[in-house]
Amino acid sequence: MKTTDHRNPFFVIQVLNRFVFASVILISCTGNTAKSPSDLKTAETPIVSYAKRLKIENSDGYSHIFVLNPWQGLRDLAQEWYLIRSDEEIPSFIDTLKVIRVPVKKVVCMSTTHIAMISALGEAGSVVGFSGTRFIFSDTLVQCVRRGEIREVGYEDNLNKELIVKLDPDLVMVYGIGSESSGYIGKLREMGVKVVYNADYLENNPLGKAEWIRFMGALFCKEELADSIFAGIEKEYNKLKSYISATIVERPKVLLGLPFRDTWYISPGNSYISALVGDAGGDYLWKDTESSVSMPLGLENVYMKAVSADYWLNAGSAGTRGEIAAIDERLSQLECFKTGNIFNNNKRTGKEGGNDYWEGGSLNPHIILRDIASILHPGLLEGNELIYYRRLN
Amino acid sequence: MALMSEIRQKDIVAYPTANRPVLLFGGLLIMLILFFILDLFLGSVSLRPGEIIGAIFNNSDETTRTILTQFRMPKAITALMAGIALSISGLQMQTLFRNPMAGPYVLGLSSGASLGVAFVILGFSSEMSPESIRGFGNWAIVAASWAGAAIVMLFIMVISSRIKNIMTVLILGIMLSSAISAIVSIMQYFSNETMLKAYVVWTMGSLGNLTGSQLNVMIASVVAGVLLSLISVKMLNAHLLGENYARSIGLDVRRSRFIIIAGTSILTGTITAFCGPIGFIGIAVPHLARIIFRTPDHRILIPGTILAGAIVMLASDIVSQMPGSDTTLPVNSVTALIGIPVVIWVILHDKRNRDIF
Repeated sequence: MKTTDHRNPFFVIQVLNRFVFASVILISCTGNTAKSPSDLKTAETPIVSYAKRLKIENSDGYSHIFVLNPWQGLRDLAQEWYLIRSDEEIPSFIDTLKVIRVPVKKVVCMSTTHIAMISALGEAGSVVGFSGTRFIFSDTLVQCVRRGEIREVGYEDNLNKELIVKLDPDLVMVYGIGSESSGYIGKLREMGVKVVYNADYLENNPLGKAEWIRFMGALFCKEELADSIFAGIEKEYNKLKSYISATIVERPKVLLGLPFRDTWYISPGNSYISALVGDAGGDYLWKDTESSVSMPLGLENVYMKAVSADYWLNAGSAGTRGEIAAIDERLSQLECFKTGNIFNNNKRTGKEGGNDYWEGGSLNPHIILRDIASILHPGLLEGNELIYYRRLN
Repeated sequence: MALMSEIRQKDIVAYPTANRPVLLFGGLLIMLILFFILDLFLGSVSLRPGEIIGAIFNNSDETTRTILTQFRMPKAITALMAGIALSISGLQMQTLFRNPMAGPYVLGLSSGASLGVAFVILGFSSEMSPESIRGFGNWAIVAASWAGAAIVMLFIMVISSRIKNIMTVLILGIMLSSAISAIVSIMQYFSNETMLKAYVVWTMGSLGNLTGSQLNVMIASVVAGVLLSLISVKMLNAHLLGENYARSIGLDVRRSRFIIIAGTSILTGTITAFCGPIGFIGIAVPHLARIIFRTPDHRILIPGTILAGAIVMLASDIVSQMPGSDTTLPVNSVTALIGIPVVIWVILHDKRNRDIF
């Protein structure tokens, strides 16, 4: 389970990589669990504390940024950047290929988390192109798309490279899902486009994922704003987390996801969502597993364990319990199905299926945590209204 | 004496004696039962034989019984049906086109069925979620799948009436499936994310998510298809000797073709609708049956193919469950790994095999 190689070995479907697999990765990002470093904060503390794949060092006249192992299965590889203000000279020892002039004015990005973080810094106007504009949820951004300020650049192998060159962005921000994507990335580089990896989706710690806003802050020279946004998230999250662990008596058992036919891709215990469930006072049924990708388990195997689940969260794109039963009627015999304790994270979903949980949610781990905690422990947080989750009827 | 025994051996090879098929049928039947039971016993959850027997006699815990009756039993039945249906349709196509390389997957019937399903899942109702489409649409998907398979089948039929070279027909079949995949890709490109996901999931192929009503639809359709193929035994035998011969012995060629095409489309369409495209069973199993029974006679080949197909599919399912591990493999990669060597063998022994046609 350590490598990415056990995807369907003979019938790899291109589209699968793009949509299904990307969303599987999104819910199963891994790494090592971050130890809370808040008590270590001193003047020399590194700027980045939770994100495992981001390193920022500030020096005189520039900031030095490392994006570590930007895709699944990599070891000891980093993309290195020197961020230098446009009006300053580039020191002679720095390779100009590694220089990004900041603040950046025009970017093309590939993931809704990128666009959400840029937007949070008030820089939505800097986004000139996006891959999958149909799936954007945020109203502000949808308006930008309508006005033609954000152009659709297509998907990986159907990327509109001519348009990208014409848009002349300072950089294209991509997420890497391994060698599949390196094809179009190589092509973009060849055309002289600066390609910057963003590894936020690989962060297993909810705060680590949100902390990538610091990266955006550095690119737009809005470090202070990014710091204050993140500090707010961190404070809220940690406060709620310790309140939950101090208050709760029992940890209800939690089942996650939905099967694809007779295979159930199970998020491992070291994943982003597993961390959220644990912090929210839940007992995730597969919390003891460790894997770098979602584990394809047989349906009967999952069913065996799932019969004891008290709650069922993140059930794919299902909007009602009837839809779950239509996928597989056997699922309706699960206890949590009968009691109606199925909650899905698609309360805020756009017409084309874009889900704000993956967009704005990347900067709201504290709100997601509050949602899950109030689902698992009714009465713990009085009067809390669910934001991202809804009960399936 | 040496000469005598040589002759006798040759006789056995060339003309099966009356006992040989009976023994072989008996052996295959026992194997079939064995594999069916094995398929029930082995799965991704390891259950002790005691627990399984307890579950059968209603005195085990609820979960074990659910696993057995609602997971393993339907899956084993599906494997049985899929193996029978795909193998029979492969056999009928090979005879009808007089082409050892014909099969539902290779000639594009499965892609045709996929196109039908794509129209239902991707084309219809952008307002409806894929889950609810599946809810109402057992029959809709199956019917679309039949229609898709039948259209491709008719197209191939027209081509092969004009072009006699079997390799050309094969290449045209491949072109046709590529064209269909292109149409499906365009549809995918313009469909929304959840539908796309539903379709991609469907194409992965699996035996294990049929329950209750779907299982009934599948069994009814497969039985109908098998009955059609039993009716057409004589026609198939006549087709072996060429259409002119078939006509000369008074066979209504047009009608017999129609029956064979209908049977093949129903069988392939049904399995493709419920299990996704499963490759190489349809092309490989009829050859296995010919190797085992050494006869071109469909009175023997059809029941032989039914048994062999069911056994191979059950075995593929057992392998795909990877007993003893939590993980499962996609069943269509297992069937490809089993089927492709047979196909290669057939190509390498082409001369000998042509004799059958």
